[in-house]
Amino acid sequence: MNVFAIVQRPGFPAYVHVHPNGRVYTATYTNPKGDAMRSRVFEYTADGTLLRSWTPPDQDLTKPRGVQVATSDARGRLVLLEKSRAQVLTLDVRTGEFLVQATIPDLPGGGAPIPNYATWGPDAALYVSDYGQPVIWRIPAAGGTPQAWFRSPRLDSPAGFGTTGLVWDAPRGSFLISQQSTGDLLDAGRGHLYRLPVRADGSPGALETVWSSAPLDLPDGFGVAQSGNVVLALLGTNQLVKLSPSGQVLERYDGRGSAVPFDGPSNATYLGSRVLVANQSPVLGDASHHVVLDVETGEPGAPVVVPAASVLR
Amino acid sequence: MTEPLSLGRRGLLAGGAAALGLLATDALAARVNAATLQGPLPPRVDVVVVGGGIAGLVAARQVAASGRSVLVVEARDRVGGRVLNHELATGGTIEAGGAFIGPTQTHIKALADELGIATFKEYVDGNNVYVSSNPLIGRQEYQGTVPPDPTILLDAAVALQQLNSFAAEMPVDAPWEHPRAAEWDRITLADWIRANTVNSAGIENLIRAWTQPGFGADPDQLSLLYVIHYIACSGDETHVGTFERNSDVVGGAQESRFVGGSQRVPLALADQLGSRVALDAPVSRIEHLDGRVRVHTARGRVSAQRVIVTATPEQVLGIDFAPGIPAGRRTLLSGMQMGRLMKCDAVYETPFWRTDGLTGFGIADSGAVRVAFDNGVQDTDHGILLAFVGGATWRQYGTLSLVERRAAVLQGFARMFGDQALRPIEYTEHDWTHERWTRGGPVAICPPNVMASYGQHVREPFGRVHWAGTETSTYWTGYMDGAVRSGERAAVEVLENL
Repeated sequence: MNVFAIVQRPGFPAYVHVHPNGRVYTATYTNPKGDAMRSRVFEYTADGTLLRSWTPPDQDLTKPRGVQVATSDARGRLVLLEKSRAQVLTLDVRTGEFLVQATIPDLPGGGAPIPNYATWGPDAALYVSDYGQPVIWRIPAAGGTPQAWFRSPRLDSPAGFGTTGLVWDAPRGSFLISQQSTGDLLDAGRGHLYRLPVRADGSPGALETVWSSAPLDLPDGFGVAQSGNVVLALLGTNQLVKLSPSGQVLERYDGRGSAVPFDGPSNATYLGSRVLVANQSPVLGDASHHVVLDVETGEPGAPVVVPAASVLR
Repeated sequence: MTEPLSLGRRGLLAGGAAALGLLATDALAARVNAATLQGPLPPRVDVVVVGGGIAGLVAARQVAASGRSVLVVEARDRVGGRVLNHELATGGTIEAGGAFIGPTQTHIKALADELGIATFKEYVDGNNVYVSSNPLIGRQEYQGTVPPDPTILLDAAVALQQLNSFAAEMPVDAPWEHPRAAEWDRITLADWIRANTVNSAGIENLIRAWTQPGFGADPDQLSLLYVIHYIACSGDETHVGTFERNSDVVGGAQESRFVGGSQRVPLALADQLGSRVALDAPVSRIEHLDGRVRVHTARGRVSAQRVIVTATPEQVLGIDFAPGIPAGRRTLLSGMQMGRLMKCDAVYETPFWRTDGLTGFGIADSGAVRVAFDNGVQDTDHGILLAFVGGATWRQYGTLSLVERRAAVLQGFARMFGDQALRPIEYTEHDWTHERWTRGGPVAICPPNVMASYGQHVREPFGRVHWAGTETSTYWTGYMDGAVRSGERAAVEVLENL
């Protein structure tokens, strides 16, 4: 495991996106002790050279703030999930223009909306997980109001440790969804990786559990290999776990020997056969740990599909 | 343009890197000049690059490698900008401008490697010398970063540790976003020293030995925010910047130099670009017109889809932009100031200090030579001592006659290394304040109240105009590595917009 790049202040990176243009993007997320700066979006070359950075406009500086570069659309714009206003934004890196695409609704009876991860679905719509509410949102391919596409009490969680990673697994016609901790009292403290098939009419099928973590593992973002294996970041126990498509544990990566240890690994995004991992350090807040880590997995990642119709507005 | 406007990667990489390594600077310069000093400019290209320093040439090469047409317009009759070789009359090639390369400067190193330009380590065997005007301390030999002056040693160590800790928190890409940006930008480095050290006069005087060569300026001219950012930039994406990596020889930015002189890098780049480089073509006007940009030079007009401007802030302000550049950027450029710096070299039959167990590196708290380096090169056995004369020292000695200054510089060397230093076989100097197209060196500095308020405009494109040059770099701003990085970044910007 190597350090791919230091993430500059305000730090706390929570996701890494590998763009079809060959470059790598990450952004800064919430400092649990209080945010003192506006969030930043960073662009790197595939070998880790910092190229450019941007500051999202109009963050609500009275609230906890953070940005994740979730994916990119067919125009090449970055799709950003902004925490303070629960918004989906696009950033055109060619012009530096930010555009608000959608605001995630606040559902009655739940926590506050926190758009967390996003992926393009089979209908070229953008699907968004919500860390604060037990719902998967759907934003039409051409843009528009988010619809609560899938709701389930199984996605609910206590104390805000909610739904995290979301990837459309095209060969298997289903979404993979990770969850940090369940709301089920009998299952407290354990996280899950779920599979959610999509029916021919585009509606969600039945939620299946692929794998359950140990208590306090806090599964976060993940990447899918061409083989269908899943490399999942366990934020709570500072490791990556490689799972077979059926949920068998194949390998664990503890990062031993690295100059910077795993400290809140938040995702695993494939770049060739490596995964890039945002080291969030959400508890210790150690700025020297705010890096993107580079872990060889020994097998290539599945190609990330950006549908031609996925243009939003 | 006599050559095809597209130049494939194969041609760029194979087109002479090996052969260039065998060419002397003069021969290579002659070849570059012959290709680029005459003839009409092409009426239209995809990209015009303003400035034939390392940043501009790197950007142009990257544009050409993509198959797009490019033209570099350079005001001088040479390429290299602030990088300039000097052939000694007694033999050997030294640098009149930027020379050193050190750890984490991976972009200039990779470029030089690709061009077949080797590096060699600065001579470091033995002790450094510190000369204090305090008669109780006088001349001392030492090793490490901080001289063994008991009146400043502890103070300096604490101050440097604190600056390093500030730098570790500084976003290299956006120092203006730091929560303390406004506070730190209101004061100078000297203000901070006075408020945070016991022997502030001693520390301020000592740190001039860093700021005068490094910035061509003194602590009372430099915004504290700018200095902290500069330290933060002294690293890369996997190494946090530190004062030591900036200031030191061993493990620092002065660790190595290029065989044959640093100007071989831009000369080799220009040789690859051939007639895509137009010398003697100062730009007078840049206008957005009908979806393109028209660049007016002394050798004619060129129309382009995009323009990359790499000139120093003062030179950019001398260009007539239509429409005018935005107020924020204009204010930023107006606030930045080129440092005042000259390099003075004395050549000796032998590097006599080495036989005395000295490295040739010295610091003094007074006189014309505040900092000295062993400037020996591989193509001569002669010993060479280099003095940076910058900032207040430049104001005192740079304005003297050559004879007076030469005597003062040699006396400075003699205080460090003995009276043999008074008898060189050659003396040469280069004053960057006299360079028409640079007006100083080594870098454009930020005094207080510039960076926090206007720094965000430093890389912000203006219509179809993009900005490069070492001052626009995130890491190693002010260095050759920063120039390479900025050229690479600007090329990415324009290519994705063509």
